[in-house]
Amino acid sequence: MRNQIVIDPITRIEGHSKITIHLDDAGEVTDAQFHVTQFRGFERIVQGRPIHEMPSIMARICGICPVSHLVASSKACDEILAVEPPPTGADLRRVMNLAQIVQSNALSFFHLSSPDLLFGFDADPAKRNIIGVAQANPGLARDGVGVRRFGQQIIEWLGGKRIHPAWVVPGGVDAPLSAETRDRILSTIPEAVAAIERALAWYKSSLVRWEDEAAAFGDIRTAFMGLVDQAGNVDYYDGLLRVMDAEGRLLADRIDPRSYQEYLGETVEPWSYLKSTYWKVLGYPDGIYRVGPLARVIVAAQMGTPRADLELDEFRRRLGRVPSSSFHYHYARLIDTLYAAERIDELLRGPEILSPRVRAFAEINRNEGIGVSEAPRGTLIHHYRVNDDGIVEWANLVIATGHNNLAMNRSVRQVAKRYVKSAKLSEPMLNRVEAVIRCFDPCLSCSTHALGEMALQLQLIGPDGAVLDELVR
Amino acid sequence: MTNGVLVVGYGNALRTDDGLGRHAAERLADDPRLDGVTVIGRQQLTPDLALDVSRACLVVFVDASHGPPAGSFTIERMERTGTRATAWSHQLSPSSLVALARELYGEAPDVFLVSVGVKSLDLGDRLSPVVEATLPRLVDAVADLVADRAVRDGTMPVADNDCA
Repeated sequence: MRNQIVIDPITRIEGHSKITIHLDDAGEVTDAQFHVTQFRGFERIVQGRPIHEMPSIMARICGICPVSHLVASSKACDEILAVEPPPTGADLRRVMNLAQIVQSNALSFFHLSSPDLLFGFDADPAKRNIIGVAQANPGLARDGVGVRRFGQQIIEWLGGKRIHPAWVVPGGVDAPLSAETRDRILSTIPEAVAAIERALAWYKSSLVRWEDEAAAFGDIRTAFMGLVDQAGNVDYYDGLLRVMDAEGRLLADRIDPRSYQEYLGETVEPWSYLKSTYWKVLGYPDGIYRVGPLARVIVAAQMGTPRADLELDEFRRRLGRVPSSSFHYHYARLIDTLYAAERIDELLRGPEILSPRVRAFAEINRNEGIGVSEAPRGTLIHHYRVNDDGIVEWANLVIATGHNNLAMNRSVRQVAKRYVKSAKLSEPMLNRVEAVIRCFDPCLSCSTHALGEMALQLQLIGPDGAVLDELVR
Repeated sequence: MTNGVLVVGYGNALRTDDGLGRHAAERLADDPRLDGVTVIGRQQLTPDLALDVSRACLVVFVDASHGPPAGSFTIERMERTGTRATAWSHQLSPSSLVALARELYGEAPDVFLVSVGVKSLDLGDRLSPVVEATLPRLVDAVADLVADRAVRDGTMPVADNDCA
């Protein structure tokens, strides 16, 4: 006899998904699966579109990380044009990409995860949300608004308008940076850094509270992957792939990410539209790895900015060189955010940042291009093939959530085994299963945005398919 | 409060009529009748907009809806209700966003919801013809809404975006 619990949809993540939890005759969890039920058709709808349209189309895939798709897409287009953006153009792309990291990370930490961290996973769901945070800890909530706004404003100021900031284009960026905009951005950085550091202090002060929770919160042995620069430090825009195993040993280093197909396999399970990627050498599903903030701070030697490096040192003293629990995505995400704010400051103070040389122009010179960058949730790959007229014939997008899919499934299984007991469903159990997914901050928003508010549905289904129990909130 | 007028059009521009709010925002941003009005286009409402909302005296949200018949639209004043909790904090509803603004900044504006009936939510970056045809009337209605407010109050010259 098999029973099944279905959580559909999951709240406080991007897009639509559900979790099924399989029970045996004794009511013990035997398996759990994270399903993405929204069909992602973007690789098909771009076929037949001119290559110069790709960045602006790709930027509309996601409401949370449009710049990430914009950057990866433009880099793929650079390859097809066979151009290298001028150094200032590349630096300005970096600034915008880092601003994206800031605003998306802020949404994840302050608005999606802080309710759990502030009130606890067992708290009343009526207050365990952003409004509840605003009432209980308005300073934290205001910092969340402020940090996200900081990143969002940079994107809008660089893009020049608030509707479609398609400023990143094939060959570089569309217009140089003005001294006024640079100074405006620079003036906002100190408060953003201060807010991020307040959040770090608050999080670290409560870390001990979550030690037991973290031990069964996606605490799994996997490899980690991210981009690093020549010095081995984090690199969000360029860089080479580094893969480290659970012991801290390098599985691969200094891999040109454009050769990703040699190293990464992709597979689709029949129960989900989301592709799972795996490290080919280890095969499927043993080639499980994680990407994103936790992976970035693990694979990198250092962050490369003063304050973030101090925080990384403390992170490693507290948790070790390769912490295995996915719970620590939260901590890593704050360090990631701090680095991004500091690095934006460094880039904007560069002597050539106001140079008018920001874009290279060319016609179609290649029929294939691959663009890779670090998005908030991890390594993002755009791969296009075009005909001689520059019309897209094929596209493949490898998104961070796909890299993390196997790890998310394994994490859900671990949490379910600890907290789901028989057919007795409880809200805290439900929230924990969701919360382990939120650690990865999966982005599935390439779907219609919710028309009306979505309910959370939890179903217990018997072996004959009948619904034995149901919770809706 | 800085007493501006804010229009927010939102939706997914790659899901046909779901992107109605974004298409509307583009037109509204270029409309001279709304000079001085802040127009924002977003895929979804997020908490960082709480500060913008708190600083406005009038906010108009433009969104796609299953409610009205395809191509028609409704304009409703949002009631000033108490704080409303939501399970979806990544994607706030207008009422939750206004509640957040009130909680954090102590200010909440008058809010109008413009809801446009959809015909299709398929993949695609164009509106369905019936919804596309609605856009000029929709822009007129939003411009009238802002102007009517100014006339009624007698204190809000739209060109200055100031209803103090």
